[in-house]
Amino acid sequence: MNNVLAISGIVIKELYRRKDFYVLFVLTALITLVLGSVSFFNDAKIVRYLKEICLLLIWVASLVIAISTAARQIPAERENRTIFPLLAKPVTRGQFILGKFLGCWLACGVALVVFYLFFGVVSESRGRSDSSTTGLTSSAATEGHAASAKADDHEGAAGGDEHHDDHAGTEHFSVLLNYVQALGLHWLMLGVVTAIVLLGSVVFSAPSSNITISFIGIIGILLLGEHLNKVALRQQQPVQGILYTTYFLLPHLEWFDIRDRVIYDQPPIAFVDCGLAALYAIAYTGLLLFVTWFVFRRKTLTL
Amino acid sequence: MTRAAPHLVLALLLAVCFTLATTIQPRTRAWSDRAKSGNVLKMLLGDGRRMFANHFFEQADISFHSGYYPSIFDQREPAGKSAMASGKDEHDAHDEAAHAKAMAFLGQPRDWIEAFGRHFRITEHTHLAHGQEREILPWLRLSAELDPQRIDTYTVAAYWLREKLGKVKEAEEFLREGQRNNPNSYEILFELGRLYRESLQNNVRARHVWEFALRKWNEQDSGGAKPDPFQREQIAVNLARVEEEAGRFARAIELLELGKQTSPNPAALQKQIDEIRQKSAPPSSAPNAPAY
Amino acid sequence: MSVILKTEKLRVEYASRELRSGIKVALNGLDLEVRSGEVFGFLGPNGAGKTTTMNVLLGFVNATGGEARLFGVDVREPIARQRIGYLPELTYYYKFLTAEELLRFYARIFGIPRSEADRRIETLLKLVELEHARGRSIKTYSKGMQQRVGLAQALINNPDLLILDEPTSGLDPLGRMKVREIIQRLKSEGKTVFFSSHELGEAETICDRVAIICRGELKAEGKVSDLVTQHQCDLEKLFLKLIGYQPQEVI
Ligand SMILES: Nc1ncnc2c1ncn2[C@@H]1O[C@H](COP(=O)(O)OP(=O)(O)OP(=O)(O)O)[C@@H](O)[C@H]1O
Ligand SMILES: [Mg+2]
Repeated sequence: MNNVLAISGIVIKELYRRKDFYVLFVLTALITLVLGSVSFFNDAKIVRYLKEICLLLIWVASLVIAISTAARQIPAERENRTIFPLLAKPVTRGQFILGKFLGCWLACGVALVVFYLFFGVVSESRGRSDSSTTGLTSSAATEGHAASAKADDHEGAAGGDEHHDDHAGTEHFSVLLNYVQALGLHWLMLGVVTAIVLLGSVVFSAPSSNITISFIGIIGILLLGEHLNKVALRQQQPVQGILYTTYFLLPHLEWFDIRDRVIYDQPPIAFVDCGLAALYAIAYTGLLLFVTWFVFRRKTLTL
Repeated sequence: MTRAAPHLVLALLLAVCFTLATTIQPRTRAWSDRAKSGNVLKMLLGDGRRMFANHFFEQADISFHSGYYPSIFDQREPAGKSAMASGKDEHDAHDEAAHAKAMAFLGQPRDWIEAFGRHFRITEHTHLAHGQEREILPWLRLSAELDPQRIDTYTVAAYWLREKLGKVKEAEEFLREGQRNNPNSYEILFELGRLYRESLQNNVRARHVWEFALRKWNEQDSGGAKPDPFQREQIAVNLARVEEEAGRFARAIELLELGKQTSPNPAALQKQIDEIRQKSAPPSSAPNAPAY
Repeated sequence: MSVILKTEKLRVEYASRELRSGIKVALNGLDLEVRSGEVFGFLGPNGAGKTTTMNVLLGFVNATGGEARLFGVDVREPIARQRIGYLPELTYYYKFLTAEELLRFYARIFGIPRSEADRRIETLLKLVELEHARGRSIKTYSKGMQQRVGLAQALINNPDLLILDEPTSGLDPLGRMKVREIIQRLKSEGKTVFFSSHELGEAETICDRVAIICRGELKAEGKVSDLVTQHQCDLEKLFLKLIGYQPQEVI
């Protein structure tokens, strides 16, 4: 374990010294802020488009970070020959792979925390201005109908009404919980992604082909994974069988994408389901890392 | 000399590039019309922008349904116009039911993967309400930006702006913009008329706009483009109401007759015509009756 | 004296698509024995299989046949590498780290406690004369400096057996002399040194025993003085003879 931690420490150190993923932070922040400053029909309360775009950027950036760092690790060690002095020490190849995985995954986690903090600040700063003014306009627009729950809460809070205060508290808590769940599931998914890419990096000799194939594969799973069974239904037999098998074998990364729930202010997911999803992700990560180790175990390193 | 040489070469190359750029640039304008349009988006995307415009229009609808939306893989029953585009409040229970049925695309999960995956999806069919409808606006704005010739973007956005968000001024501006981009669109004119009549209670302007819309419809009809006959009915019936209120019964009847031709419910229109006839009958039976 | 490095009928075949013949026999039944406390020179022309032997000893390459043991443990066990120090030929270290950070990292891998590690890093940096550059990242080092970092990292765990692949390549005469001094000091401390080299003079002065290999096969092995008296010529002539060099062939 000590060895694993030491190796992951090196991975993280390299990442922050290389500085190249700061570019992604800056880019994401810049695009979001520029889009946030656009006014649509003089309505300052519109937030969801901004959340949507910001989360999309975060997802893309995180995938780029995860894939490009994980794909580089082992080939770079071999190319720069840094792997030789390292493996000449009492380090097993399993520890080496685990260390690389852990380093990449922790780095992704740190990046995600930064991204989601930014997202939280952006969406909540707009969301607040929303609740402070919705009251009047929205009730006017809805023929005196009860104003939106949020506005209601806010007025309640201003009035110091205890019941409403409670309500507002739980609402904020649920928003926060939503963010935390989104972050956690996202991070678990990046674990699977990192493991996939690490496996790719010991299978394919060229990092660039690994990056391309992993990227296409992962985006494919995210977009199509959940629909494969419906597609399979419409196919003839041999193809159907293949599609079904793939459907059941693929890691269903799309589960971990709960952006919609965050954007559209849905209630948080039950903890049981989150736990099960976490188990699922951990199982797949474990499986993939095991396969990586299996391939790498007896590999001749001079080639 | 040797020290300055690289700098000189650099300066020379820059000068060459600059000269080339300035001489060639006017010519490239002739190569494609992309470069001509001042619009950055148009230049970047070319004709692909129509596709993106469609995408963003749909995104508005997704937003209207809070993310509960069928993918291309879900077998969706043909639902006609989406709830967002038609403005659901205007529609009767029958439409409502049809829409609900069309949106019930999820069905029973086929396997455990799908069943479990639903915990992470939005599985409830809802519509935005209480002023939250504003969330669809950015997507519509974007859609209009990408494809200014897409007409329903303007009409739909204007509807929600004035009906639910109380932003009549913005709605009018947007419709005007749409009209500038589509000078022949009777749909936009019709929506503009509704705005004048329903939101600003300005029957005079409404009447002008609708008359104009009717003319545009006829122009398109005679021009060979097949304009929507139901739209003509809508325009005619609404215009008839204005004319009736203004006391121009003959014109009102004429318009209702026109609407009857294409109406799905001609009997109702006939009834209206009869009512107006009755109203206008006394003065017509006593043509000399003085106007008190 | 106990044998701490031993290979028996070691055979290594490289299989690669890039090789035209399909496989390349790099080692062909190599038998070696290095005893504790000696300095052992491993000599041979370019491409003889020296690096390959070391790669097998460290587990980077799997032997096709035969076996290799360190301290009586099969080289595939990571524990076999606990007590050795290894200096690869032509190696770069993590460029983004400083020499000090690199040594600390390796110390951590060996599980050396922090205070002890600090002390060793201090002495090693002094030994390889990199104290002035300890805070700079390795990418700013010259080739010789990198080689010295390599030597320092090979010594971090105070190893009983040192495997050095051409330790003096890329160093200036003074640097070479320093390396020779270090090797001799280690010997006086009772350590075993197994190193490859092209420098016959160097081998002659510091080695207790040498082995000469060519095309993956052992050609000669023994004390330098024994070999010289046995073949009635100096080490250089012997080397050239063993690798099949005929002076008259040169035009
Ligand atoms: N990865 C590899 N694939 C194929 N052949 C290889 C590979 N590595 C080494 N060889 C071959 O194995 C033989 C032994 O190589 P090795 O590197 O052990 O030589 P060496 O004795 O260290 O030479 P040098 O003194 O030049 O370092 C050479 O003929 C080389 O071409
Ligand atoms: Mg070598």
